[in-house]
Amino acid sequence: MGIISIVKANNLLWLGRYTERTYTTLRLFNQYYDQMIDFDPAAYQKYCEQLGIPDIYGDKNTFSRNYIFDAADPNSMVSNLTRAHDNAIVIRDTISSETLSYLEMALNILKEGYKEHAPLLEMQKVLDYLMAFWGCMDDYVDDEESRNVIKVGRYQERLDLYFRFSMPYDKKLKEYSKLGNRLNKSHLQYKRESMLHLLDIIEADSDEQIARFDAISCINHLLEEGF
Amino acid sequence: MQNLLDNMDLVNGLMARYGVRFGIYKNGTFREQIFPFDAIPRIIPKEQFDYIERGLIQRVTALNCFLNDVYGEKRIIKDGVVAEEFVFSSSGYLSVCEGIRPVKGIYTHISGIDLVEGKDGEWYILEDNLRIPSGASYPLIARDICRRVSPETFVENNVAENRDYAALLKETMDNCNCGGINVILTPGRYNAAFFEHSYLAERTKSVLAMPGDLYVEDDIVYYKDYSGHPKKVGTIYRRLSDEFLDPMAFNPESLIGVPNIFDAFKKGNVALINAPGNGVADDKGIYYFVPKMIRYYLGEEPILKNAPTYLPFYEEDRKYVLENLGRLVIKDVAEAGGYGVVFGRDLDAEELSHMKQLIKTESRRFIAQEVIDFKDLDIIDNGEMVPRKADLRAFVLYGKEVKVWKCGLTRFSRNPDSFVVNSSQGGGFKDTWVLSR
Repeated sequence: MGIISIVKANNLLWLGRYTERTYTTLRLFNQYYDQMIDFDPAAYQKYCEQLGIPDIYGDKNTFSRNYIFDAADPNSMVSNLTRAHDNAIVIRDTISSETLSYLEMALNILKEGYKEHAPLLEMQKVLDYLMAFWGCMDDYVDDEESRNVIKVGRYQERLDLYFRFSMPYDKKLKEYSKLGNRLNKSHLQYKRESMLHLLDIIEADSDEQIARFDAISCINHLLEEGF
Repeated sequence: MQNLLDNMDLVNGLMARYGVRFGIYKNGTFREQIFPFDAIPRIIPKEQFDYIERGLIQRVTALNCFLNDVYGEKRIIKDGVVAEEFVFSSSGYLSVCEGIRPVKGIYTHISGIDLVEGKDGEWYILEDNLRIPSGASYPLIARDICRRVSPETFVENNVAENRDYAALLKETMDNCNCGGINVILTPGRYNAAFFEHSYLAERTKSVLAMPGDLYVEDDIVYYKDYSGHPKKVGTIYRRLSDEFLDPMAFNPESLIGVPNIFDAFKKGNVALINAPGNGVADDKGIYYFVPKMIRYYLGEEPILKNAPTYLPFYEEDRKYVLENLGRLVIKDVAEAGGYGVVFGRDLDAEELSHMKQLIKTESRRFIAQEVIDFKDLDIIDNGEMVPRKADLRAFVLYGKEVKVWKCGLTRFSRNPDSFVVNSSQGGGFKDTWVLSR
């Protein structure tokens, strides 16, 4: 096992979460964008509501631009990926320059993409780089513990988002299983009863708001203080 | 080389991809910027580098002897070779280091020696950096990138390998390791050289530690592992200055230090790279005495020359400096990073008069040097090839042997009227090709 300080474990975890947040919300954004241009210009409002962010955008065009590119908007994709990058840059020695470079390139697009002729087309590159980032993580990060911790963050975030967006039962169950697998492999201290409760919620397959909030709370309080 | 120059866009793209940046504080705000890279290398023929290498090994060996002596017997002072006023009043002299001998007597594990090539073809030493010299990572990654873009360029031109820096550094760390892991200690993300700290940690397979990751117990330094297994630390390549290293021994207000780390060092339980107290040997005032040190400790004539230097502290020199101030360069010994450097020719009458007064009243504070007319190097500026002032920071590593890295950081001024090449003042960098034959 490699040597990971508490701070570094925290960086790995949040790197996983913010990278995944950017990746999954970008994929979901693409679906909602389709709706917005096809038949429901206000679909973005539903998106904001499900994600739990304030609708500060006013219309679909402002949303499409600012939600992706506005660094002053704390909920924007560029803000999320900047946070991922902030966590990554301090653990270059753990994740390798090669892995970090894909995040760097994705972030550069989010920072500069608004200048392009077709800014939303640039988002495909962001998705590609983020996929490459995860591939690189498996290939270049020799230390299994580091891979476990970052993937706990990744699956925590994905499951959180899947609940927020009411994804189907089998999708949530799959991510739950991946999260449990990584938690058990890692040395992270977590609340086993919360994991069991989370499974109950998934099995109940309820789309009631209270169940979703309960699940999201479980996910976000899964790890013990200071691990 | 043309192939490399034709593909500068690719080189710059890769530089951005790998985040080759340095941090800068301006008006109280931190921001990171790309360190401008110019692909036209500085080329040093083999014979010339062999000569520089001999001179640097000699110089660093003498400086290390000086540090052992000054914190030990002080023979060089007793024998009147170095004036004590320049030792004990130096801000780099640390009385708490008196009587402490670092592991294997090595103080100067990593030295960054700044040189310039004069138009007369002579190499001059401008400055010794023996505390935490930075910059090696930039030509290291630049070479890696340039080799990817145009590999044949390096083979065709017989360029000596520079990618062994990580191995040299690791060897230096291992040589003085007191049992435990190797750590690179960074003050944090917002340090100007953070890229370098993290990159060197990756390349040497050391652990990059923030100050809060380390603690001292019973004079042993440990790295806190999150799973509850502390790891003993054997070597710390610390990238924070002496004053902030340990609030218990130095500046009590330091929030980025590791309490009691100095005690662990004193007991020989951990090696600190570079050793605390080195600042006394790279003081701009002490620079004047380095040729004398070489003669005193090694019984040899200095191979590499100092820039002609005057110490206003000495009456004769002061008289000369005051008479010739308009054509000299004045350096404040307390400043670094290109700050505190004043060219007499740039001062108006009133400023000259003020400077003269300062030199008279605070003579220990300044040194004066003849302005070396150093060779310009070509750079590409907005698509045009233009000459600019450039220096060379050579890296000397003191492990089992003293070795000079066959490369170096060539920094250049982007301002056509300036001699100041520091990155903090807008300078750029080049790769340094040492030819293998």
